[in-house]
Amino acid sequence: MGVTIVQHYPMTENRTGPQVIEFLTKRVHAMGAAQAGPFLVDCETYNSAPAFGPPRTVHLLNNSEQPATVFSILESGQKQVPLVSDPLFMDLMKKLGSVYTCKQQTRMEAKGPRFEVADFLVKLGTVTMNANFKGVLVEVEYRPCLVPAACWELLREFMQGFLGTCVPNQPPSYLQNRMQDIYQPLDTIQQYLDQFREYRKAVTVR
Amino acid sequence: MMSVEPLQTALSCIRTLRSNVGVAFEALGNGIRSDHGEEGKETKFLFELQDLLTVVNNNLRDVEQSINNLQPPHNPFNLGNSGFLSHEYAQDRQALYSQLVQSYKWTDKVHEYCSLAHAQLSQNSLTRSYTNTSSAKRRKIQTSSHNVLPIHVDKVINQIERLLPEMNVNIQRPFASNVILHVSVGRVLKAIIAFKGLLIEWIIVRGFSESLDLWTESRFKVFRKVTENAHAAVMRFYMPTMPDVSVKNFLTWLHSFNTLFSDACKGCGLHLRNAMPPTWREFRTLEPYHEECKP
Repeated sequence: MGVTIVQHYPMTENRTGPQVIEFLTKRVHAMGAAQAGPFLVDCETYNSAPAFGPPRTVHLLNNSEQPATVFSILESGQKQVPLVSDPLFMDLMKKLGSVYTCKQQTRMEAKGPRFEVADFLVKLGTVTMNANFKGVLVEVEYRPCLVPAACWELLREFMQGFLGTCVPNQPPSYLQNRMQDIYQPLDTIQQYLDQFREYRKAVTVR
Repeated sequence: MMSVEPLQTALSCIRTLRSNVGVAFEALGNGIRSDHGEEGKETKFLFELQDLLTVVNNNLRDVEQSINNLQPPHNPFNLGNSGFLSHEYAQDRQALYSQLVQSYKWTDKVHEYCSLAHAQLSQNSLTRSYTNTSSAKRRKIQTSSHNVLPIHVDKVINQIERLLPEMNVNIQRPFASNVILHVSVGRVLKAIIAFKGLLIEWIIVRGFSESLDLWTESRFKVFRKVTENAHAAVMRFYMPTMPDVSVKNFLTWLHSFNTLFSDACKGCGLHLRNAMPPTWREFRTLEPYHEECKP
């Protein structure tokens, strides 16, 4: 898989979520994009029961690009432990109901159309938390390249081309320490989780 | 060769005759049936039989006629060794004859196409092999680019590899003599290059995450474009008299794709044009350009 950047697209006062998606779809089409199906990334968060020592949080994420994989990230204090596993892991978590309980209200989802522009993959995601609209996330993947450092400038140019000034000149903070490494699917998940955290903190739409 | 058509008609005549004789005897064997009715059933049965026999008679005449049209072959067929196939008694090998005929037809066709292709290619002046057409009196020994000792090829390629820091070269000889080179440039691309001696015959460029094989193109548009440009470069750098220099120039050119995704175009100063990075490298200066911006 290629290098992927997950970018938050700020909402303006007078536009609704579907209007923003439609507006961005038009721009992507203007670049000669072809629609290539839908996509979905979802995140469920489990909290450990108070009887089991210091609180721990497990985030379970699914990405439609890797349908046979479940990504989970365990947070305990400052430490993070990622785990990549089979979908069966979801069932295992349900069995652990006495230890980890799922907070239904915090279920996050980003879904929407998926486009191909030459070797780029563009996904326009509507973010919802427990079915409430929270904002718009744009994911851009450059599939031929594996090293973020090699193609960040190129990706930035591409994203600023159709998203405008909301794209910063620096890569996402999560990627900054990993610019020379080979890009993994888990890196995309981490970026989504970082974004979802921001959405959870925000009181209104972002 | 004898024409097959009369033989076919004769065979189909015999088939009709056999079938109709079968029908006649079946009717005779069944005797008087209920659909002949009650009144005068014997005469009706006799009439039916008579009709069937007339048909058989006509068929027999047809057969005789078609056999008369056949011409016996003048001399006995010479089947060569394949004649012995009729002596085969193993059941599973009796079908060999039709396969033999099939493959004979194939080789015949291949022969025909080869001779046509040869006639075409001998007129084509774009051949890359260095042939001395002038009948010079003093014959100098030519340096041939496609008939080089394997040790020499290895030496040339290893020397070049040492000059190019980001390039990783792996020499393979799947068919003993000629080199297939697996090249990777940085963590950007992989290429597979087929040599004939020291002459570059074929190249496919693919992504670093893709597997290498000589015949399938990359999934990515960028690398398909680079493959196309590499073919142009092979032609551009081709030097029949100094094959090692041409290989060196070509690999240096390929090495410059190390910065395929990070270099901006020298023409327009941008990274992307039509959502593609600069896929063209100038042959002399190795400067990156977009397909649309190249000078």
